[in-house]
Amino acid sequence: MCTERNVYLRHERAIRGTVMVLLFLVAWEGLARGWWADALRPLLGEPAERLQLKPIFISSPTLVAASAFRMFFVTGEIWRDLAWSSLGYGLGLALAIAIGIPLGLAAGWYRRFAYAIDPILSALNATPQVAFLPLIVVWVGTGLSARVLIIVLLAVLPIAINARAAVRTTDPRLIRVAASFGARDWRLFLTIILPSAVPFLLAALRIAIGRGMIGVVVGEVYGSAAGIGAMINQAGSRFQTDKVFVGVLTILAAGMILVEIVQRIERRVEAWRPQVEV
Amino acid sequence: MAVPIDLKQDAPQGRASPAESGRAHERLIIGGGTLIALLLLWEGFARSGLIDPLFISSPTRVAQTGWGLLQDSDFWNDLGVSGTEFLFGYGMAVAVAIPLGLAIGLSRRLQYMLSPFVDTLNAVPRVTLLPLIVIWSGIGIWSKVVVVFLGAVIPILINTQSGVKACEARFIQVARSFSASRFKIFSSIILPGTVPFVFTGLKYGAGRALLGVVVGELYASTAGIGHMIAAAGNTLQTDVVFFGVLIFMLAGLVTVALLDRCEQQFERWRPDVH
Repeated sequence: MCTERNVYLRHERAIRGTVMVLLFLVAWEGLARGWWADALRPLLGEPAERLQLKPIFISSPTLVAASAFRMFFVTGEIWRDLAWSSLGYGLGLALAIAIGIPLGLAAGWYRRFAYAIDPILSALNATPQVAFLPLIVVWVGTGLSARVLIIVLLAVLPIAINARAAVRTTDPRLIRVAASFGARDWRLFLTIILPSAVPFLLAALRIAIGRGMIGVVVGEVYGSAAGIGAMINQAGSRFQTDKVFVGVLTILAAGMILVEIVQRIERRVEAWRPQVEV
Repeated sequence: MAVPIDLKQDAPQGRASPAESGRAHERLIIGGGTLIALLLLWEGFARSGLIDPLFISSPTRVAQTGWGLLQDSDFWNDLGVSGTEFLFGYGMAVAVAIPLGLAIGLSRRLQYMLSPFVDTLNAVPRVTLLPLIVIWSGIGIWSKVVVVFLGAVIPILINTQSGVKACEARFIQVARSFSASRFKIFSSIILPGTVPFVFTGLKYGAGRALLGVVVGELYASTAGIGHMIAAAGNTLQTDVVFFGVLIFMLAGLVTVALLDRCEQQFERWRPDVH
């Protein structure tokens, strides 16, 4: 008898979430199409006009969907932007990993090295790194290398700082046991420090993915020929709000897919660890 | 999610033994030494003409330019504009995010209803919304306030919410069995328990807010330190750019230090676990 209620309770999260999202989309569509203005005009009279907003300001879910369909499948114009942005993003993230991990591991392992670079790391970490963008443009121009550099700058700090923390939190007992059995530094590093650092590094990678996305958009503010960020900027200055939304949603989707991949890897890498029941 | 980045974890605490104070000195000497060496190297490169100072400036040039700017009323105007943007946006974010985060943490249903929006906004860098925000609120101060608000509100909200969730269930059970009222449970168990989480969110949010100020002003603005940096970059005044970056760096360091102070005040009641 109570099965309907049970079904609701079991899926409460999904139901409530979906209903809210649908309400939001309907409210948005209504604002753009003037549904609310039409419905409330008899009640409110003239002020009801305020409930209708021009689609060039707010676009609407259907306009965004249509625009996305056109850009992805009809004209295919977005693929070129996507490829261009991905190139910079991939290079930047790869460089950030290649610099950040060794730097962080070294800072975690050698106390004096950490003393030397800590002030610089914390100063850079407190700075909004995009403030360096005008300098980067002066140094390397507005091409691919500027975008790669700004992405590296944004993504390298969380990676280095987490790698450093990872070494610091390695179980000292393990290291002592290994050392008393005469293990050398590199052996300690390969068999103890690196495996226990992996979760930290993957967590850092997840943060870096998001930071790098900022770099994609901000790096293309300065006269980039193509790319998702440049597309968003151009569309914005031409009041093509639907295209802007398509670009934002594309970045959103790309970020979510990348984070999901890292989480998959996290689960796979962590599979060897014995489950600890508390 | 928000990982509090703490580089001071091995700073000596409390009464330092001789070995520890020796370490603190070593830390200071090596850290300061590296910094000074780098500055000297930079100055050397610029003076020797190996690299054109037009591109990399030099510490003395930055200092001179900075001194000049400090006497310039335009600079103070820029600083005032950026500061207002930061304070308005961040203040609004705090005022919205903490109550909303507490509410979402307390009510499972509210969480179900709002989490799709919070998660989506969290997954997209809010600066991508900048072109839209500029269309909606112009290139004046308000577009920056909105970007700062959006940047800061999400980390504070998420951290506050997880602070409520992380609340020790046993404490609540004990309080219930002594028939504490819901308000009492909230004010004496849940609220104090969220403080460290809220501050983590506040610090993270402050970084996001500063980022919003910079990006917003680089993108479209008529005044502000970010505007100053962008304009100086276009005219190859690297000294001015470096000084602007330095201002942002100081702003970041000061904000985090202030929040640390506040957190210590709030956390004084906690018994010491050493």
